Amino acid sequence: MSSRRAPRGEYIETDTGNKVARKATLVGTQNIMLGGKTVIQPEVMIRGDLIRSIQSSTSSSAAGAPPNNTAVAIGRYCFLSRGACLRPPGRHYKGAFTYMPLRIGDHVFVGLGSVIQAASIGSHVHIGARVVVGEFAIIKDYVRVLDGTVVPPNMVVPSFTIIAGQPARVIGEVPEGGHEAFELRELYKTVGNNPHPAPS
Amino acid sequence: MAPLPFSPYTFIQCPCSDSTLLARPADAKSPTGADAEEDERTFDPRAPRSNYSLYPLEYLLYCEDCHQIRCPRCVSEEIATYYCPSCLFEVPSSNLKSEGNRCTRSCFQCPICIGPLSVTTQETRHPDANLLSADNAATPHSGGFSLTCSYCHWSSTEIGVDFDKPNGIHAQLAKIRNGGESRLTAKERKERRKELSHRGDSAAAAAAREEIEEQVPDLENQFANLKSFYNSQLADPTAADNGLSTLGDLGFSSPSSLSRIMNLYTGGKISDNKAKSRLGAIREALTPEEGLLVANLDEAALISQLHQSEHCDTASMAQITSQPPNLGEPALHGASRFTSSLRPIPHLLRTKRSKRCPVCRHIISKPEPKVQTTRFRIRLVAGSYIPSISIKPLTLPGPSGSSSSNPSDLLISLKPVHYLLTFKNPIFETIKVTLATPAATPGRFPSKVTVLCPQFDIDANTDVWDEALKDNDRSDKSSRNSGGTTRQRRGTEAGYQLEVGKIWERGRNWVSIVVEVVPASLRLEDGGMLREDEDILEIPMFVRIEWEAENAGDDGGIVPGAGGKDKDQKEKRELAYWCVLGLGKIKQN
Ligand SMILES: [Zn+2]
Ligand SMILES: [Zn+2]
Ligand SMILES: [Zn+2]
Ligand SMILES: [Zn+2]
Repeated sequence: MSSRRAPRGEYIETDTGNKVARKATLVGTQNIMLGGKTVIQPEVMIRGDLIRSIQSSTSSSAAGAPPNNTAVAIGRYCFLSRGACLRPPGRHYKGAFTYMPLRIGDHVFVGLGSVIQAASIGSHVHIGARVVVGEFAIIKDYVRVLDGTVVPPNMVVPSFTIIAGQPARVIGEVPEGGHEAFELRELYKTVGNNPHPAPS
Repeated sequence: MAPLPFSPYTFIQCPCSDSTLLARPADAKSPTGADAEEDERTFDPRAPRSNYSLYPLEYLLYCEDCHQIRCPRCVSEEIATYYCPSCLFEVPSSNLKSEGNRCTRSCFQCPICIGPLSVTTQETRHPDANLLSADNAATPHSGGFSLTCSYCHWSSTEIGVDFDKPNGIHAQLAKIRNGGESRLTAKERKERRKELSHRGDSAAAAAAREEIEEQVPDLENQFANLKSFYNSQLADPTAADNGLSTLGDLGFSSPSSLSRIMNLYTGGKISDNKAKSRLGAIREALTPEEGLLVANLDEAALISQLHQSEHCDTASMAQITSQPPNLGEPALHGASRFTSSLRPIPHLLRTKRSKRCPVCRHIISKPEPKVQTTRFRIRLVAGSYIPSISIKPLTLPGPSGSSSSNPSDLLISLKPVHYLLTFKNPIFETIKVTLATPAATPGRFPSKVTVLCPQFDIDANTDVWDEALKDNDRSDKSSRNSGGTTRQRRGTEAGYQLEVGKIWERGRNWVSIVVEVVPASLRLEDGGMLREDEDILEIPMFVRIEWEAENAGDDGGIVPGAGGKDKDQKEKRELAYWCVLGLGKIKQN
């Protein structure tokens, strides 16, 4: 590192510690919630513009409460690799088409070029490269999705599962000693305008 | 497509693979040889048995009472919770006996591709109809429901099955044959029959009765018929030997032996005096109503169907084996071999399990029983007791650079390479590590191995808060040297000298050392072929760890002569095990 702080780094670092690449495409940023300390690499796309067009309960609009327009909610210490795409799932609901929010927990890694259209992804989830997570899939905590997996729409993946294949099937169980490997604190430090080297 | 890059690995051997530890006399004569010989021999990671005893660190547990590593092969498991992996509902173990090990709600997998099936209304296939109707929400479903695969778009309508209600699909499916014909379960048939007999013998009743009997005798119904027939035979003491008594004197047809056999399966008392006193034989079933089923050996229809079908129409082995037992299928030659008759697969249940040490029976892993929680009450993983070993190719830049460092690069025969092994200490005591490797790897192609520093100390794993404070300190400096102040490098920047007996680098709770290997030549004199994985450079390594632990006083420590009198005194501990380091692949010439 020759210069202490580049005048214009590759990443925008927010007050809550998010590191968002300038070359990432975030559409509808007002509908994207980041929990903090999340890394968004270049060429990532997040479709915050695909908001719910039908509110869940019809009475809430009458009560005057502001509609909840969150399209994509991401927790802390998530890592979205280059080329990943987060897209809220959509479906017909009471005769009309609407998007539903995509929620992601903490310590979720999304690999190179993977497309996520899940309804929810828990915490401590590792999604490999070139993975497709279909619409309204639900991935619980401590799940490992191997490279190239296609998770069909509506699939539920319970905790401590390793899945792979097209379509995804359960190929193993995350062992008791494998929980810590999902932590992304160290990885977070290795990226940004002043990255630390990866721990040896 | 390029071959996958090789990533170095460390596998650890569980002590359960050591036959001397298994107190079974039969093992002394096992073909692996005498115990004394075993001790002398270097552990060979390629030996056929080794496959079953080597595990990555994450898969190993640790017993605090035995001070020993435990692996998935030797721990004993106890099921804490059964649950459906799709709806995540817990299934009480009492239900398992009656309902089987599959989800009885509406969770199904596609028989063609194994993807999840979802319940869809038949109307959604015509979105136009939806748009046209004035009030969509109030429209009652008229078209019924079907199960549809969200991956390959298979639909239960392809086998002629649809449902009246969107819930309780499992129960509905049990009553529908392929093609949509409804089927009476054994219980319903019995009730229907009873009803008819009460009504008297009108012509209509007789016709209805015929209709019941004409149903295909499926597995469930035939079993029920046989069961009720035998029960009636047992109850009837005057049952004469007027049936098919071909088994005559062998005694299979006597009520007492029958009840004895049935007791074997139902767990009742074997010595039933009442039954024993009841002598005489019983007869066998004579009519379909009693459970007689004449085998249909004419498979001409099936053969002609095969002639007319293509290869892809026949179900694969995987598809057939994942089919659930179908009580509604015809007995004997009922199971179909065609994809066109495969039925939806109800999800197999999954379990949460706790694990016990096989020696002392203490629990070493115990999850919270609730399905949706991921916490553990007890989780003694080996990774918190023994050091982790990570492997990295060592780059030595400069004119005398000894190796190319790209991990995906193949190793060149006879060209020395260096690897950095980093040992990380998880415990709160300083540990002394002693390593031993054979000078040459076992097998047909011995590679030379030299551990430059086979003995070293690693500092204790300090408190988490210390680490956090150090982290902050580091980020302020943002320097390249993030290892903290204790870090010292032995190879100087100028010369990159590898010194024998010196560690390479040291951090808070870790040490890295250098291993030099000279990959073997893979040439075979007789021009033979390489066996599987013979080009992978694996080195067996014996690791011994010694440390001083607070004397807990309650355990029979493994180190003899430890001062057990004084509770405050520190106790010497040691743990030793074999591991295997997979370093790289040797290039074949
Ligand atoms: Zn074991
Ligand atoms: Zn279920
Ligand atoms: Zn399918
Ligand atoms: Zn034990």
